[in-house]
Amino acid sequence: MANHMFQQIDKEFITRGVRRCSTPRFILWLVPWVALLLFGAYSAGLCLVKGLNQTNMDNRYAFGLWIFVDLTIIALGAGAFFTGFLLYILKFKELKAVINSAVVIGLVCYSGAMAALMVDVGQPLRAWFTFWYPNVHSMLTEVTFCISCYLTVLLIEYLPIVLKNRKLRDVPGFLVFEFELHKLIYVLAGVGTFLSFFHQGSLGGLYGVLRGRPFAFREGIFVWPSTFFLFIISAAAVGPSFLICTTWLVEKITGKRLAKDRVFDLLARISGILLSVYVLAKTIDTLIWINRTSPGLGFTASQYYDWKPFGTWILFAEIVLCGLVPALILLTPRLRARRAWLIPAAALACCGIALNRYVQTVQTLALPTLSFDKFLSYTPSWQEVGTFLGVLAYGVLVYSFSFRYFQIFPEERELKIEVRPQQEEEPVLAGRF
Amino acid sequence: MLPWNYGFHFGAASYIFLGAFYTVLIVVATTIINALWRARRDLSKGKVEDIRWHSDFHDLSAADRSCRHVLTGEFTSRECPHAFDCRECATHAKLIALHPLAQAAEAEEDIFGMSFPLDRMYHRGHTWARPEADGTVTVGLDDLGARLLGTPDAVDLPGLGSHVHANGTAFRIHRREADVRILSPVDGEVVETGGVDRGFFLRVKPLNGLMDMRHLLRDAEVKPWLMRELERLQLALTMEGASVPSLADGGVPVSDIAAAYPKTDWDAVCGEMFLEP
Repeated sequence: MANHMFQQIDKEFITRGVRRCSTPRFILWLVPWVALLLFGAYSAGLCLVKGLNQTNMDNRYAFGLWIFVDLTIIALGAGAFFTGFLLYILKFKELKAVINSAVVIGLVCYSGAMAALMVDVGQPLRAWFTFWYPNVHSMLTEVTFCISCYLTVLLIEYLPIVLKNRKLRDVPGFLVFEFELHKLIYVLAGVGTFLSFFHQGSLGGLYGVLRGRPFAFREGIFVWPSTFFLFIISAAAVGPSFLICTTWLVEKITGKRLAKDRVFDLLARISGILLSVYVLAKTIDTLIWINRTSPGLGFTASQYYDWKPFGTWILFAEIVLCGLVPALILLTPRLRARRAWLIPAAALACCGIALNRYVQTVQTLALPTLSFDKFLSYTPSWQEVGTFLGVLAYGVLVYSFSFRYFQIFPEERELKIEVRPQQEEEPVLAGRF
Repeated sequence: MLPWNYGFHFGAASYIFLGAFYTVLIVVATTIINALWRARRDLSKGKVEDIRWHSDFHDLSAADRSCRHVLTGEFTSRECPHAFDCRECATHAKLIALHPLAQAAEAEEDIFGMSFPLDRMYHRGHTWARPEADGTVTVGLDDLGARLLGTPDAVDLPGLGSHVHANGTAFRIHRREADVRILSPVDGEVVETGGVDRGFFLRVKPLNGLMDMRHLLRDAEVKPWLMRELERLQLALTMEGASVPSLADGGVPVSDIAAAYPKTDWDAVCGEMFLEP
């Protein structure tokens, strides 16, 4: 009886006209992720209580798995600001079909990154110091301020999605607030774009200004090294690709069509164009670095790639395999129209950006820079991996709840009719009148 | 970095950073305060129902937001810019002046066995409004709406003396798992309530003496609209996994369509047909 009542209440919160799995099945789906989240919380708790000695990082290897994951998910979460910018500022109306998903992904990515950063920085009781006593000389200050502000903006952007819930909008206050907030959402989209541009850039700039690390150091314009701009372009380029991948993945898991082909096509086209620009810029940057910047600092570029496993293959994988190849596929209408090409291309683009962030973080720190230095290796401890898995589980849980109870894909209902032909063999004409 | 920070010095970089940072904070805070203030104003002015309808209308599919003049073939495609409130629409006024609506040949349209008397006007949410001799307006469910809901499990009617607004909630009907908000075709004060057995649900008195019903469908508009509604019903039933109804062979919708589809998500079908997505 209580079980039936619980299921009834659960159903009342689900958007009208969309099909969701039964309550027990949903709970079953949640169980492993909750377990992983608890494991992550335990791992993070150990790091916070006992200190960073729980990790395999040290004074030389200060950036590890967490920073790599942070940089990657912040780049992948860029779909939120970029889709918002395209929809609300440039008026690409088709993207209305995925904007809510983009906001949820952005929120998950940014809040997950913030959580991991908090564990990494440690001393949670003094977390506010970073805002009150910021380090004037650190690009991380700009990153901290921008990401905090943007996370606030994302939370506000997420609010209308929550308040649009079928049951919540029965409360008049929620209904009118959601309506009025939605009318002003373009302001938030503009602010989000401004903040995102700067923190994506500052994250890149963070490596580019490392004069003591010739592998990462880059020249640039005024105070901004070239990595500042490369990070912005790459994040904008893969944001739509990640949105393609997540939408496709959710479609596969739920067995539903969630967005029309033209939406996938538009996202692919945008991603392809920006990825081409990125590949071109990255190639020019690499050539300048090989021929001028690095020799100017006393290193030939080939020296960096003598240290295995970081051979020149990594450069090829980053620029050609995960850059040029997906860009060409995404730019070719006939190829991007087919999921068998589109999804691997979008996934390759995402992998390329993850590889770029990995190279910037891990390879930069691993390479020796002084004559008495050694090549360093680093393997994350189980506590670091646990914290990362906790962030992953948190993301899946937030997305799962959002997908179940909120209208993440407005075209889902309309598209139900298009998946029916797969079931044509069933005798569905019994009720004909 | 911040003025109260030890060692802070004003310089170009500080001005740029602080300027940008505080601008962002002010813009975000202003946006939230503005939205809260507007929400409070809307609540105090009793605009909840109006907002609910506009929000619902925004969520309807583009095809469902079609202008009434698309139904009659005057436009090939046009989305209604006024959320079905033609009283505000200059285009509607112009078109009606140019091509006054033709009177229907019969006093009652019989469309697929359903009765649509032409002594009343129809709202696109399947209600009708009939002006009475005493100046009041009777409100009821049209025949298709009544067949969709069959015999309701419960009806929530507004209290006497309460106000209803065009496109706002008139009353609610519960049938099986469906809890449907029925849209009011007119503005007015409720002076009498009816029920399924009485053939009407509300009788309302105009709020300021005169009832403006320009936004309601009438005469020759009813048949093409209903044709479109039957197509929408077919689509809704198909979307919900019910059989594909075939009216082309001359079938007549049964009097209780809900009962004919016991396994279909009737809440979704009703949401579609009564314009509550």
